[in-house]
Amino acid sequence: MLAGKAPGLQHPNSNSILRGLIITLAYDDVNRTVTKRLLEKIGCEVTAVSSGFECLSALSNVEMPYRVVILDLQMPEMDGFEVAMKIRKFYGYHWPLIIALTASTEDHVRERCLQMGVNGMIQKPVLLHVMDSELRRALQSASE
Amino acid sequence: MGKCMQGYLDEQFMELEELQDDVNPNFVEEVATLYFKDSARLINSIDQALERGSFDFNRLDNYMHQFKGSSTSIGASKVKTECTMFREYCRMGNAEGCLRTFQQVKKEHATLRKKLEHYFQLARQAGPKETARRSK
Repeated sequence: MLAGKAPGLQHPNSNSILRGLIITLAYDDVNRTVTKRLLEKIGCEVTAVSSGFECLSALSNVEMPYRVVILDLQMPEMDGFEVAMKIRKFYGYHWPLIIALTASTEDHVRERCLQMGVNGMIQKPVLLHVMDSELRRALQSASE
Repeated sequence: MGKCMQGYLDEQFMELEELQDDVNPNFVEEVATLYFKDSARLINSIDQALERGSFDFNRLDNYMHQFKGSSTSIGASKVKTECTMFREYCRMGNAEGCLRTFQQVKKEHATLRKKLEHYFQLARQAGPKETARRSK
């Protein structure tokens, strides 16, 4: 399922390991737009949502095999951790993969992420090469 | 990026330029437009909250958290710095500090807006040849 070249290669669109469906959840327009574009640039097909509800709805659509959720943890009016918890509650710990975007790398954030079954963390602002390598790493680990 | 932008925009802005290509030739300007729409709304909310005189520092901090978030995404470094200071004053419950810093936030925001408007105008005048040169 995750056939493709070795993760070391950096060519943006060459690798089917990244060609997958991704949901990105961010509250504000700017972050959502930038994250979506960034993911598309590295070869992903993206659905951008702005609420936990939309995110869960999208995941429940059996015709769209989403593999990863990119989840902004620091959103006003919405607790990113709560969304992660709900995803794990409804869909279990193996799917989808959750990669959290966070402004903070404090230990307690990291720990909470681990507890919630988050598969990866990226510090904001997100750089393209960081998103690329973190996605590859998470997808690679999941396939092992 | 140009000398006039130095200090106002950081590497994050350059990341945005990297995301622009033939398929999305106006990406940076689109993001900037979104940013100014969002930030105008937030500035308005904060203005109103401050004018009311009731210093709900939690609420003010919330607004500023959002503002800082999108300012970071577009690479607005000076605006971001002022946002951070404002949040510090919120944490300390310092009303006067908040008022003072907010004036700075608005000032940097307005300056950035003018600079970006000018920047995009130049980019449009330069035309597709310039865009092709800039994108990889």
